[in-house]
Amino acid sequence: MRFTHLLPLLPLCWAASKDALNTLVDLAAASNGLINLDGNTFDLLTSPKRNWSASIQFTAMDQRRRCAPCREFDPSWVEVAKAWSKTPKEHRDQHFFATLDFDNSQATFQKLGLQSAPVVFVYPAAEGPRQLPSGRTTPSKYDFSHGFEAGPLAEHLSNHTPIPIPYKAPFDYAGWTLTAVGGLAFLLTLRFISPILQSRWTWAAGSIVTMLVMVSGFMFTRIRGSPFTGGDGSWIAAGYQNQYGQEVQVIAMIYGILAATIVILIVQTPKQASPNRQRMQIYAFTAANLLVYSILVTIFRVKNRGYPFKLLF
Amino acid sequence: MSTAYPLPSGLSQATVTNTASLIRIVTLALISGAAIASRLFAVINFESIIHEFDPWFNFRATKVLASQGFYEFWNWFDPTAWYPLGRVVGGTIYPGLMATSGVIYNILHALNLPVDIRNICVLLAPGFSALTAWATYMFTKELKDESAGLLAAAFIGIAPGYISRSVAGSYDNEAIAIFLLMFTFYCWIKALKQGSAFFGMLAGVFYFYMVAAWGGYAFITNMIPLHALILILMGRFTSRLYVGYSSWYAIGTLASMQVPFVGFQPVKTSEHMAALGVFGLLQIIAFAQLVRSHLSSKQFQNLLFVAVIGTGILGSLAIVGLTYKGWIAPWTGRFYSLWDTGYAKKYIPIIASVSEHQPTAWPSFFMDLQLLMFLFPAGVFLCFKQLRDEHVFVIIYAVVGSYFAGVMVRLMLTLTPVVCVSAAVALSTLLDTYIDPVEPLVPEEATPSASGDDSTTTSASGSKKAKKPAGPTESTTAQSTPKPRSRPGIFGLDTRLVVIFNAFGMLSFFVFHCTWVTSNAYSSPSVVLASANPDGSQHIIDDFREAYYWLRQNTPETSVVMSWWDYGYQIAGMADRPTLVDNNTWNNTHIATVGKAMSSTEEVAYPILRKHDVDYVLVIFGGLIGYSGDDINKFLWMVRIAQGVWPDEIQEPNYFTPHGEYRVDDQASTTMKNSLMYKMSYYRFAELFGGGQAMDRVRNQAMPKQGPTLDYLDEAFTSENWIVRIFQVKKEDLLGRDLKSANAFSQGKKRKRSKPTARRRAIV
Repeated sequence: MRFTHLLPLLPLCWAASKDALNTLVDLAAASNGLINLDGNTFDLLTSPKRNWSASIQFTAMDQRRRCAPCREFDPSWVEVAKAWSKTPKEHRDQHFFATLDFDNSQATFQKLGLQSAPVVFVYPAAEGPRQLPSGRTTPSKYDFSHGFEAGPLAEHLSNHTPIPIPYKAPFDYAGWTLTAVGGLAFLLTLRFISPILQSRWTWAAGSIVTMLVMVSGFMFTRIRGSPFTGGDGSWIAAGYQNQYGQEVQVIAMIYGILAATIVILIVQTPKQASPNRQRMQIYAFTAANLLVYSILVTIFRVKNRGYPFKLLF
Repeated sequence: MSTAYPLPSGLSQATVTNTASLIRIVTLALISGAAIASRLFAVINFESIIHEFDPWFNFRATKVLASQGFYEFWNWFDPTAWYPLGRVVGGTIYPGLMATSGVIYNILHALNLPVDIRNICVLLAPGFSALTAWATYMFTKELKDESAGLLAAAFIGIAPGYISRSVAGSYDNEAIAIFLLMFTFYCWIKALKQGSAFFGMLAGVFYFYMVAAWGGYAFITNMIPLHALILILMGRFTSRLYVGYSSWYAIGTLASMQVPFVGFQPVKTSEHMAALGVFGLLQIIAFAQLVRSHLSSKQFQNLLFVAVIGTGILGSLAIVGLTYKGWIAPWTGRFYSLWDTGYAKKYIPIIASVSEHQPTAWPSFFMDLQLLMFLFPAGVFLCFKQLRDEHVFVIIYAVVGSYFAGVMVRLMLTLTPVVCVSAAVALSTLLDTYIDPVEPLVPEEATPSASGDDSTTTSASGSKKAKKPAGPTESTTAQSTPKPRSRPGIFGLDTRLVVIFNAFGMLSFFVFHCTWVTSNAYSSPSVVLASANPDGSQHIIDDFREAYYWLRQNTPETSVVMSWWDYGYQIAGMADRPTLVDNNTWNNTHIATVGKAMSSTEEVAYPILRKHDVDYVLVIFGGLIGYSGDDINKFLWMVRIAQGVWPDEIQEPNYFTPHGEYRVDDQASTTMKNSLMYKMSYYRFAELFGGGQAMDRVRNQAMPKQGPTLDYLDEAFTSENWIVRIFQVKKEDLLGRDLKSANAFSQGKKRKRSKPTARRRAIV
């Protein structure tokens, strides 16, 4: 019953979507494969009768909006859209890349209930052969947990395009040149710096610094991307399982100082020929050891509130 | 010779030696006692119980081994795990741990000591920690001397970094693995020092034991070749290195291939290629040296040199080529994620989701190693000062170990031994220098380096040097070269006392620290929780066992229980019921299926549950008493893992509020509220507060008055503190309706018919 009602309308909407498709193709061709949307073209692109799919970036590029992530993400988006515009026409016209800026259509943001940017929505085709098997027509959201890089973005969006996006990371000329020049310089100066390279103390310094940095949680800040200091200017993060970048430096330095007092007491002090000077050194370095160790324990008490011990303070 | 304090005179050398060795033995025995005793907090505070998750499986497997014999155990197929797939246990585990307990069990029973297998399993880790202390003593003795060895043994005996994995009841592979690690390294150092094929073979045999016991054996597989390679690069190739390495590699590799779980991996995977490559390199170099010693022609030697380099390059190219062709498997994800730290989160969320695979912040280092943390670099510095072959080993181990420990919390365990060794070297050198009673002469001439009964750094290193003349870059310390000035030393008694007092102060602080950390942080079985009553007495929360025993006693033996994989081993061990997934996370899709069921709506989840014959679903809920390790906190991982397999159906952002917050209260997203996990966790939760405001104490959020309803599941059991909740999956409706409408009907609700009602209303 219902379908017979719709049947006369069918050619009409075919025609409508044909028109819309042509408009969109023209729009995309005009601006490097990336459609700049406003409210009307957004409705056109996401019309419920679409037999194409679309990826839309919602962003706020204007300086006044102060959206730093938007500006960070935008180049990746443009790159991926550009890569898609190089695909053969029959595939290219089934999937569109578009950008909707907040200042072009605030109403759309309100309609979608978006309160942050950037956001990427992928609208699957609602009709036609490319409709999803599950019949879903609502958009899916791209998860930024892999960062703002173009590579993962292209990889994810390729699941929704008719053919994979032929995105290739641009060749890193600067990096390779730098490596080549560095390697060449190393080889040229090898005979001059080889005494340094063969000295065990060069390696000792390297190893010990590496160790100190590693045991002060450097990898933690790398992997978790901790900020250097807290937002409120504090350098020490609350909580036992957390830390800021500056803590790595402070803690590595404290460990270094403590190790140095021990090493000096072992190696340097016994060589001192004058008894009085030696006595001075021993007292000074032992006191330094005790003092710095107390500081370390105090810092640890800040991190671990339940810690019951303390030294001097 | 002037001394700082009077020395007893008239003691014969033999008396001194004998007394010293007696004191050493007594000290080692006391250290072993302390190491065992400090691991018994868990038994005293709670009871003799197996801890955590993986140990429950090991315990279950050991029971099979003890009751049915080794052969049955070897061929054991467990149909109740990974229902309906089952698991070939014999071929998918490292059997070393179970075999060890099985042997101990059989020996004790042969001696007519009927000890329960559970007590052997509970006390295995403390027992082996005593052996670890001894192995560390032997290792450090090779590095410096006996006194450093004793210090190192004491350190590793009580260092929390090792205790965390070896308290009584923590019946896991690591319990015996650290002993094997240290002993293999000791044998390797010994083989290298003496050029002894016997010690090389011993290293190979213990390497085999390690392979049979722990997946971390790859650390040895790469440490020893790395050490050998660096020695070659330093120009320290000797026949001792050749003999030691070749005997270790040949015997160790052949033996390790006998473990079914390892099989042909040593010749087929990238983790083992370094060992193979260095083995080949050593053969080439040894051959070249042999030929060179027989030839005189300069040109021929040059040609040979080129040939050697060429063969080396060809060999490495061949390995690379084979890897590309797929003959050699590339690095497995677990190892690869150590280098590319972002890899796991992107591609294998199941590895990234485990809490012990998280990176380590500095407080954990300090908590686990405290004082040793800054003695460690000092010790490494002293190793650089001497730089014999074994010191190179410690240095490499220190650098590599600290990187790994920084990347993954659980690898703190492999760092701990080297920290203890190196810290012991530093501290014992400090004490040697300041206990040594000999005072230097103040102004004039040099005295011959006279040593008393105790061995100072000078004499120790000097005597070893005399034994071992090889090594082109041998250390030339200030002490060993005779100088016109007096022998270095310390003047006065007060200076000695200050340093020694400070050192002993630090050491006793360390003991207090270790005791506190062990008793407070590392002795909780996690199966039984403890909290304090208002009057300070201990209150035991035993919800897990309550619920598991409920399952055991009230459900048919064949009923399948679905839970998140963390609880699989415990359900199998304590409730003895088939589970869908468990802690042996070998099948990602199966886990993702469970994740999908938990994170979908009831209507979507129900067919999944029915297809897998699930009878009961078990969730962990901490909202009532504030137990933060519950399933709602782990929920996002379930979503992520499910999303990895069904990206179209499950999407992580849908579980957040539009503001990007993870909420469970009335602002939670609809997807969240409709997910099976949410519904099961908060089902009837609000009723508990009798009209008052329901609070989730883990997330500190006020729950809505109207809780979720369930149509496809029935609440079957909820433990005393609501930590474990078990739901029964309803069978299909007998009248063929879907369960939702059947439920609505039985509650007396009529089906909604919008149009007729509207018409009726219009008439009225």
